[in-house]
Amino acid sequence: MSGRMQVISALQRVETARVPIGEIGGGYTDVIIKALLGADYQIGSDAAFQNHLKVRQLLGADIVGARVLGPPVEVIGIHEDWRTDIYSDFWGACYTQPPDATVQLVTPIANTPAELEAWQAPDVSKFDKSLIHRWKTDTDFFVLATLNAGFDLGYELLGFERFMMWTIQARKVMHAYFEKLIQTNLKLALMSVEAGADGILIADDLAFNTGTFVDPDYLRSDYLPLLKGMVSEIKKTGVPVFLHSDGDLRSIIPDLIDCNIDVLQSCDPNANMDIPALKQEYGRDLVFMGNIDVDLLASGTVAAVENTTRNLIRAARHGGGFILSTSNVVASYCKTENVRAMYAVAHKELT
Amino acid sequence: MSVSDNSIQQAILLGNVDSISKSVNQLLHEGVAAQSILDDQLLSGMAIVGERFKRNEMFLPQVLMSAQAMQTAIDLLKPHLLKDSTALKQQTVVIGTVKGDMHDIGKNLVRIMLIGAGFEVIDLGVNVPAQRFLETAAHHRASVVCLSALLSSTMNNMKEVVDCFRGDPDLRQTKILIGGAPVSREFSKAIGADGYAPTATDAVEKVQLLCQ
Repeated sequence: MSGRMQVISALQRVETARVPIGEIGGGYTDVIIKALLGADYQIGSDAAFQNHLKVRQLLGADIVGARVLGPPVEVIGIHEDWRTDIYSDFWGACYTQPPDATVQLVTPIANTPAELEAWQAPDVSKFDKSLIHRWKTDTDFFVLATLNAGFDLGYELLGFERFMMWTIQARKVMHAYFEKLIQTNLKLALMSVEAGADGILIADDLAFNTGTFVDPDYLRSDYLPLLKGMVSEIKKTGVPVFLHSDGDLRSIIPDLIDCNIDVLQSCDPNANMDIPALKQEYGRDLVFMGNIDVDLLASGTVAAVENTTRNLIRAARHGGGFILSTSNVVASYCKTENVRAMYAVAHKELT
Repeated sequence: MSVSDNSIQQAILLGNVDSISKSVNQLLHEGVAAQSILDDQLLSGMAIVGERFKRNEMFLPQVLMSAQAMQTAIDLLKPHLLKDSTALKQQTVVIGTVKGDMHDIGKNLVRIMLIGAGFEVIDLGVNVPAQRFLETAAHHRASVVCLSALLSSTMNNMKEVVDCFRGDPDLRQTKILIGGAPVSREFSKAIGADGYAPTATDAVEKVQLLCQ
């Protein structure tokens, strides 16, 4: 059975011989791909596509994540402290990546609510969707197109604290901001479907390990209706919608079901998101994906990874509705032997 | 108005900067001691905020607003607190995300809650080298240093910071608290830190204990 069919079966609540497995987004960092492929790691033209293909074939993954691509980032200066490039993305925010560290926002898209009100979302209609098309036509992976919505992207572009304060101080402006972001991402979603995506993944972190960032009532009144509208438009095309959010979402799972989300991804055990328990309560309405702790892959033993993966599969596989993945992506600091062990168990644990 | 009125506490809970400024100025004008305003209303207000946040009755935006109101009030009280030699000196906490790690949501939340609890907080930001923690703690005579990390790959840099402090004859007694998704009580003990806090509210309680 192809990877695509493995995932579709899970969505249809059909239990297949083995559980489907794969990662969202880029899935595996280049450091991990290089370590896993060794001498087979390719450089030169077309290397990124070939390496992502080979690493999924090596591990036996069923899913590939891909994006509609915007124009390349533009270098606009040098950061004073770190002497690293400052670059601007198509949304208009500026970032830098200090040595040995992750990307950091340098200049937000707005410093005041008035600036945010005047901010215009970019025109994405000419963006490049060929990568999605290529994965669909050249492989039989389930092609999961990745984009955002309004919340996670909203605070990435504004800075976290400013964003959070403005949900109270500039509520109307923030609602309009959510609308702009969601409309733009909806366009990207429809372009992705047109290019052949089998599913749409909305990456939208709404929570941390102890609960939602903001009051669930605020989400219900100001944000989730917009998300529901986006999901509804995507689902008119016939593709399923996955939602990725870190954190403890238990207080809003019924609301996410009301938004017609098909798959909830991440389900981080550190945030009390236990897939077997969630499946028992909400399995008729939601498919669950994730639950393998990235830190376990980073610091655990092979035996611990095998046991955790095996126990999860045995507890969650019944009746389909479950996709195995890490609770985020396979990070650079994960041990390759643990990544191999997780995927090997998925292929050995047969009904 | 008197200090027994709870208008300041209400302003803290609502995160109302204008209202808290008026109330604090009025109490100062009436001759109420700055220390009394701090202890009886501001700190008790922020303690309620911490409790409500822990119980998911208040959320990040409200906590940020409360902390902003608290900071406004402390700025108004500071000149009066400095004049009063009997007033309790604010203890200083140095906080930052360790080298290699740019995550700051959890660290920022702890900073906000610490300010709310009445600490002077020096925030070094993210990707902070061990030496900078050391220099800043020495310069500000910090009581506690709080280290944050979100990544398994960067949590080991916490040990480097702890080792730097323990190896410095003047700073080896400085209390070090760690937090962040991948760290644990066991890890804290293993690297020789003085404590571990799983949440922001726990961090405030631990810092208060370490300062006693």
